[in-house]
Amino acid sequence: MLDSKVLLLILGMTLVTYVPRAIPAIWLERLRFGPRVEKYLNLIPYTAMAALIFPGVLSVDAGRPWVGLVGAAAAAIPAFFRKPALLCVLAAVAAEFAVYSFL
Amino acid sequence: MKEAKSGSFREGVRDAVPIMLGYVPIGIAYAIIARQGGMSTVETVLMSLLVYAGASQIMAAGMLAQGAAAPVIVLATFLLNLRHLIMSLCVNNRLRGASLGGRMLGSGLVTDESFAVFTTAAPEKCNIRYYLGMALGAYGAWAASSLVGSFVTDLLPAILSASLGIALYAMFIALLLPHLHGNARLGLLVLLTALCNWGLGKLMAASWALIVSTLLCAFLGLFFVDLGEEARDA
Repeated sequence: MLDSKVLLLILGMTLVTYVPRAIPAIWLERLRFGPRVEKYLNLIPYTAMAALIFPGVLSVDAGRPWVGLVGAAAAAIPAFFRKPALLCVLAAVAAEFAVYSFL
Repeated sequence: MKEAKSGSFREGVRDAVPIMLGYVPIGIAYAIIARQGGMSTVETVLMSLLVYAGASQIMAAGMLAQGAAAPVIVLATFLLNLRHLIMSLCVNNRLRGASLGGRMLGSGLVTDESFAVFTTAAPEKCNIRYYLGMALGAYGAWAASSLVGSFVTDLLPAILSASLGIALYAMFIALLLPHLHGNARLGLLVLLTALCNWGLGKLMAASWALIVSTLLCAFLGLFFVDLGEEARDA
């Protein structure tokens, strides 16, 4: 059921994934940022999301980058008109479903 | 559906639905790989509950099946998840005033997706209740889908599973694009970061390219992007 070697691996992975996540929670309490650092931290979500999207979206379907681009375009259109995220996600999934059904 | 109060736990759970759509097929895929690689159901689900990092778990299950040594897997996991340090910093900066216990729990639930939803949420949602509702909703979907995937290997038709592969990318796009409305310079920064990440990806591991392009381009953004009303608590 629970192999001791696998359990140790899981605990080791828990440690190295939790500690980096938890450090800011402890650290930030004593820290006050100036407006410059504050702006830097407010910019990070945008740059992080850009990096999370591209070029990863090209490998949604191995060897066929356009499949990811079709889905991205299907999400981008409602997103541009400020539609809810769920709707954008469903539009993209529907577009991919159509791609896989007909192409 | 009853309208949830803005910034409530319930609204957080509701905003986690797009994440759940993306997590379910990945959670099932992870569990199938883990079970095929020889991990038991308990081990498979325990890893999801404790580690809670999709890409690392899939990598670990694969490496384990190939007989890789545990320290090597742990080191690879550490490197792959170092980005969460930066993301958790941004999340915690918006949770100032919340109790330490709440933030310690919440920090453990930082993923690319919970970070993206929370840091782009409206100011009235910048509280621990909303965050925990959203992050626990995503966590629950991840745990439940790895449990389901340990038992049922052909739950989702292949075509649906493949189609859901776009879900998390679509969510990032949905969270990002509305903020670029009327802010061409921020749009330019986003474009620059995407290209930077793509270029760096040819020189180094993708996990490093992501960290370097995120930090470097946000720094460049300091000099030409005006966040205007987007800037909070500044």
